[in-house]
Amino acid sequence: MSAPTAQKFSSRKIRWEILSSYLVMIFFALLYIGPILMLVNASLKTMPSFMKDATSLATELHFQNFIEAWTKANFPQYLLNSVIYTVAATTVYIVTAVFVAFPIARGYIKFSGAVLTLFVIAIFLPPALIPQFQLMLNLGLYNNPIGYIMLFIVNPIGIVILVNYIKAVPKELDEAAALDGCGYFRFVLTMILPLIRPALATVIVMHAIGIWNELIAPTIYLTNKNYYPITRGLIVFQGVYGSNWPTLAAAVLLLTTPMLILFLFLQRYIVSGLTAGSVKG
Amino acid sequence: MSYHFGRGWSKWLPYLLLLPGVFFYFLIALGPSIATAVYSFTDATGIKGAPMHWIGFDNYREFLLMGRASVDNLEALKRTLLFCVAVTTVQFALGLFIALIVNQNLKGTNFFRTLYFMPVILGVVIQGLMWSLFLYPLGGPAAKMLALFGMRSEFLGGPPEQAFFWVIAIQIWANMGTTMMIFLAGLQTIPDELFEAARIDGANTWQVFSDITWPLLTPSVNTNLLLNIIGSLQAWQLFLVLVGYRNGTQVLGYLIYATGFGQTSGSVSSSFRQGYAAAASIVLFLLVLVIGMAVQTFLQRREERILG
Amino acid sequence: MSKKMFSLLSLLVVFATLLAACGAPATPAAAPVEGNATEAPAQPAEKVTLRVLVHQNPPMVTFMEQFNAKFQEAHPNITVDMSVVNANDLSTVSQTRLSANDIDVLDIFGFSNGAQPYMKQVDSPNWQQLIEAGLLMDLTGQEFLKNYDPAAITDAGSYNGKTYAVNLGRVIYSGIYYNKQLFTDNNIKVPTTWSELVAACETLKAANVPCMTAGGKDGWPIFVGAYGLLGSIYPDQATLVEGLWTGSIKWNDAKSLDMWTKMQVYARDMMEEGASGVAGDAAPGRFASGAVAMFPGGSWYAPAIEAAQPAFDWGYIPFPGSDNAADNQYWFGKYDQGWAIAANTPNAEAAKLYLAEFSDPASYQTFVDAVGFIPTQPTAKLNTKIGAEIAPFLANFHVGYEQYWIGPKGAGQFANPWASYFKPFGTDDDPQVLADKVQSDLQAGLDAVK
Repeated sequence: MSAPTAQKFSSRKIRWEILSSYLVMIFFALLYIGPILMLVNASLKTMPSFMKDATSLATELHFQNFIEAWTKANFPQYLLNSVIYTVAATTVYIVTAVFVAFPIARGYIKFSGAVLTLFVIAIFLPPALIPQFQLMLNLGLYNNPIGYIMLFIVNPIGIVILVNYIKAVPKELDEAAALDGCGYFRFVLTMILPLIRPALATVIVMHAIGIWNELIAPTIYLTNKNYYPITRGLIVFQGVYGSNWPTLAAAVLLLTTPMLILFLFLQRYIVSGLTAGSVKG
Repeated sequence: MSYHFGRGWSKWLPYLLLLPGVFFYFLIALGPSIATAVYSFTDATGIKGAPMHWIGFDNYREFLLMGRASVDNLEALKRTLLFCVAVTTVQFALGLFIALIVNQNLKGTNFFRTLYFMPVILGVVIQGLMWSLFLYPLGGPAAKMLALFGMRSEFLGGPPEQAFFWVIAIQIWANMGTTMMIFLAGLQTIPDELFEAARIDGANTWQVFSDITWPLLTPSVNTNLLLNIIGSLQAWQLFLVLVGYRNGTQVLGYLIYATGFGQTSGSVSSSFRQGYAAAASIVLFLLVLVIGMAVQTFLQRREERILG
Repeated sequence: MSKKMFSLLSLLVVFATLLAACGAPATPAAAPVEGNATEAPAQPAEKVTLRVLVHQNPPMVTFMEQFNAKFQEAHPNITVDMSVVNANDLSTVSQTRLSANDIDVLDIFGFSNGAQPYMKQVDSPNWQQLIEAGLLMDLTGQEFLKNYDPAAITDAGSYNGKTYAVNLGRVIYSGIYYNKQLFTDNNIKVPTTWSELVAACETLKAANVPCMTAGGKDGWPIFVGAYGLLGSIYPDQATLVEGLWTGSIKWNDAKSLDMWTKMQVYARDMMEEGASGVAGDAAPGRFASGAVAMFPGGSWYAPAIEAAQPAFDWGYIPFPGSDNAADNQYWFGKYDQGWAIAANTPNAEAAKLYLAEFSDPASYQTFVDAVGFIPTQPTAKLNTKIGAEIAPFLANFHVGYEQYWIGPKGAGQFANPWASYFKPFGTDDDPQVLADKVQSDLQAGLDAVK
């Protein structure tokens, strides 16, 4: 055999890197798949067999759990509510936020430095549960989806992130666009938004996650079962049928599946949103 | 700064469009927070129609100075900081590491990205359920693995430090995906040519990372650090879902909720103490403010130094 | 430019209208005038929706669903909208919904923890806060109250001479469920003293059967499970609470130390490995699966055990905390669920009608049979299996310590007689050290409010 050439050596090295990359990815994948598989197994067991031994492989395949979970709670409604709250609040938020962030970043308003400081301080504000509750009550928006959505249309950290990104957009662009006769409103929507897509995507994802995960606000603000988001619906389900792990696991799987499928579809857009506007190419 | 978009009344357009955002900000965030600050000097219960008295700094005195309870409160404060440091550093480092790996041009990376981001989609309640089951001490998978080595643990129900450790681990597990995604976005903005040029110059992996990737990732680094720090200082919902209100595991956010709504003492519900809870949340606010501002200033200086 | 301006303005207008239009219709504020108090509630003339709040308790929720269906059938113009919350969230949700005037009938636990003269600087318990804020309706003189034991009305639902809640039953939490089959198989006699209990556990463990389980995940079931240890040492728990406040009883005196020593054995040796992962409401299922021999827990778990394994044979005995069998013949418990009506309800008549029908002796009997409560209606019978198990010692019923206890402000977090401080649930493994810590945490509070 001839002595290895430099070419071969480097390709071998790369292969080793790829191998270790896959090992790392698979290791972490196990950490993420493991708990789900557990759930699948538990959801197929009967209650007594679960209570005797939680993790032994389900042999009886008790699909009854899924039927029970499906009929006992209004999960499609909860899921739909969660989606509505998340999408509505995030949309209102992001539109208002861009119009706050842009003039601050550009200094198109007086005291923009002071306004920015106000928002930076606001990042650290504690959640003001009770005054907020009384506010909503007095506005007549208690136990009302609109009121619930309103709780989530403010998020100062997103504005700070947007300001930072917009600052990196060359100011000459404004001048050029204005010379071409482009108005302020259209300029922000058609020129600035696409340029700050990575920041937008970050802020949207971050903000949406917060709403999606909210646990306390629905307990306090929404008492009508038809308004429950999925978090609240699950907690109540867990409370009412709490001793029944297998049914609970089945319920969780019923919810998880559409969410994951939805995400698989949306993932392209989230990632492309995050990555578009790159200087690549 | 000169404004290019017209003169006269259209000069006010930025103000007009800014208005809704600022209005909601005052209405929903700042206003109630100021009310919280006022509440902290009263014995408010949060019950409509209940009398409320001005009691000065009594709530603060009780929270910070009174008897052994104040020592426990300070412990909770320390624990909050510990949680923040542990979660931030590990989640940041792990998120960056994973982002670098799945950013390679390899088959299946999309699948792995989705998988790592999955807990974020599932939400905190499902995360809690999954892990309670995974860490079920009566023969759950983790318990079985330990048993192979002749060990056992009560996991979330055991000694508080152990439960606390697990909540940290699960918090990282759950949110690492967000950190990774933000880093991925940053990585994609770095032009490939830079890497190629560096390779041609004979730079090794570490040099490429420290000379190109790391400095050019600065905006993502800043975003992630700030999000992680603030997120973890205020996060407590996993505690609620996984361990409940237990001695030796409370963080400030949970303590505030539990005292405000009379949930501090297990089987019997205690009194509603919104005034006291408000004082506690002002303390948390000051803590987060000091740390957050310091980090923010540091990051901004660093960014100016690196990116000019 | 003006076109864009217009479109933006119209957008804002739409948004504003949306906000205004979707606002909840103002609730009719007119408080109904209280008629002659003893008058039987009249049928409401218009269609009303009665908003009812209950805490989660599976057999009770099932019963309520059936009751509501029957109630709606009998009164077609009343719709019952019942919401269920976790017991932990009941006080939070009651508070917010009462403040929002969004509730008519609510579930409220028996009034406990009244502030006593010897307690300094304590806050009122939340039921008292609600009454003082005028949020609960005064039910004094209502006809349906006459169906109940006057003592229960006074003890668990009255404040300052007025009645605000009707209590539906007592529960016991100082007992142990045991698996009869496992006891027979292992030749174990039902224990009546502490040493017999210790011996029984040793026998079971030797036979590879875990001795006890409890819902350790929720924390408090471990304490409640060990209630007999506290009760056998301090039978009069009101005196215990006063003694702790005045300093005549200490958590580290000789008597208490005996309790801590036993609690350690209970937490460390008697509880099965992994009990800390069992949720409070999963424990009955775990016991009913036959995997464990005993389950120290409240009498309210009996319906859950029966539901999990109908054929399963179990018994319920007082937790033998003392070596003197005579000291172990007590039950400790509390007043559980009750009903109250919101003071500002627009549906007062329907709400009273609801409680009146609920209180009907026949209906009430079905209720106690379903949930296994000890009835507070003197005419109701203890038909249940758990009732039969409880009956022998029912004359020795005492209200438990934590129903009286209000901790002083400034007390440390360990100022309670909880067995869960011990390993493996907590960090302690020395009774003396723990006793001193508990007493000093309590003392810190007593000193702070002096």
